[in-house]
Amino acid sequence: MQIAVSGGKGGTGKSTVAINLAIALKEYFDLALADLDVEAPNDHILLNVELQNEEPVNMFMPRFDYSKCIKCRKCAEICEENAIITMKDGTPFLIPTLCSGCRGCEIVCPVPGAILEKQKTMGHTYLTNTVYGFPLITGKLLEGEERAMPIVVAARKRVQKLDNELLLVDTAAGTNNTVSKALENSKLLIAVTEPTPLGLHDLELILKLAELMGIETWIVLNRSSLGNREGVQKVAKEYGVEIVAEIPYSENIIRSYIEGKPIVLSENKEAEVFKELAKKVAEYVG
Amino acid sequence: MQIAIASGKGGVGKSSVAASLVYLLKDTYKLIAIDADADAPNLDLLFNVEKWEEEKELVGAKVAKINTETCIQCGICAERCPYDCIKFIDGNYVVNELTCEGCGVCRLVCPVEGVITLEEVRSGIIRKTTTKYNFPLISAQLDVGRPNSGKLVTEEKEWAKKIMKEQNLEHMIVDSAAGIGCQVIASLGGADVVILIAEPTPASLSDVKRVYKVVQHFREPAYLIINKADLNPGFRGLHEFAEEEDIPIIGEIPYDRAVPKSMTMLQPVIEAFPQSKASKALKEIARIVEEEILK
Repeated sequence: MQIAVSGGKGGTGKSTVAINLAIALKEYFDLALADLDVEAPNDHILLNVELQNEEPVNMFMPRFDYSKCIKCRKCAEICEENAIITMKDGTPFLIPTLCSGCRGCEIVCPVPGAILEKQKTMGHTYLTNTVYGFPLITGKLLEGEERAMPIVVAARKRVQKLDNELLLVDTAAGTNNTVSKALENSKLLIAVTEPTPLGLHDLELILKLAELMGIETWIVLNRSSLGNREGVQKVAKEYGVEIVAEIPYSENIIRSYIEGKPIVLSENKEAEVFKELAKKVAEYVG
Repeated sequence: MQIAIASGKGGVGKSSVAASLVYLLKDTYKLIAIDADADAPNLDLLFNVEKWEEEKELVGAKVAKINTETCIQCGICAERCPYDCIKFIDGNYVVNELTCEGCGVCRLVCPVEGVITLEEVRSGIIRKTTTKYNFPLISAQLDVGRPNSGKLVTEEKEWAKKIMKEQNLEHMIVDSAAGIGCQVIASLGGADVVILIAEPTPASLSDVKRVYKVVQHFREPAYLIINKADLNPGFRGLHEFAEEEDIPIIGEIPYDRAVPKSMTMLQPVIEAFPQSKASKALKEIARIVEEEILK
């Protein structure tokens, strides 16, 4: 069973909600947390743990054996990313930064052995044992690499092997296809937003995506005391989703965030919000 | 001159700082602003844009489609899809359009000619307007579930360059997306200067370091602005990072409730609350930008 925390806009508190909810949900489930914001993974920083058990995410890249290549240009023709260019006589060259590692060129090449395999590391996945009793899986794209999708896919594969009762996924900001990949197979999406026009705009997009994917969605309104809540209530109504929790703007939460001490473990009243939310989630997923 | 504004982490105040800087520079310099965060654009909201003068549909994205009539259900496509996007649902192999990258491998491995096709779909829109502050703004909005490609940012920049020529503009200010992926790489590529924005938290430090590695790849000079600077007084990480990498810190903006308040008013903070703590810091930053960068 999988549930996800997402929310359209960056900086609305997705990771804060994800890590606190994970800790609170540990009471109910044998769970794993996956940080699939591979361009800016921060759950480990908020949980104050060092990433462990690094595994590279290697990608196929073609290497041409020019002694065998018949210069038929098929590889260049089918490459959807235009990563293979050919000289006048048909000699192929690879532009490595454009290559997506899909192996299409290898598949169409008519000469066995003319395209060989070169490996390129695009990022890493980590499996970190936290002191909170659940493992954290993190995907991390290497700086300078452009493609987030293979890292998201690799991190998902790694977490599926763990076979926990519940998987809590923390996604990247936005609603692009790496976010939909992270959300795939979720029974519930917790959309974190804030009551500003910016938050609202991005909330609508994630609600639209969730609707397309057929995922039940709840809204958590962060920094609820900052702006006008009516806008969020209106959008929630329009999409038929419920605002299940409100987190007021809180210095305590900021402090816990900065210190890497999850607020849900503190004596502060803000801890209750996450415990309540966890209870609600536990009742929902059963 | 092309100035890119980047942060790595989302939500550190990149767009609100960018909006205020543009607001402060717009009268002295002829500039164009680009919102390169097609996944969550918000400069238009901060400049209270109500209508777009021109819109272009983007049809670059491709997704695979399986003809269920002719499909022999061998399942090879699902096996070979590098991104795990093809599933057997209700008796048919189906491509999940919301996660497909459009690589076309399924079509290549399919043993039956013509069963799988790659179809062009709309990936979003690029749009242009002249803000009420009289400078042009280009923005994009990606459709949900589409690949966010650098191509989109590159197209925004091409359009901007055309307008710069037509209107004789001197500077392009690019508000880049969060993260370090293709859209950020496209935002930073070709920039003369990068202004990094970070907040004093370990998460923001980690992310700004990552985006700085991309900046280094382009060998572009970088400057740093620390936002919400008094949020975490004991935290020296950003200063240490700036010192180690020799990145000038051109300003520290204190945390100020006037900033979120100005957002709900759909105005840059500098316009809504010119006397606020944040605005005073922003004015000083704009002065330094004029002296150090735009000189």
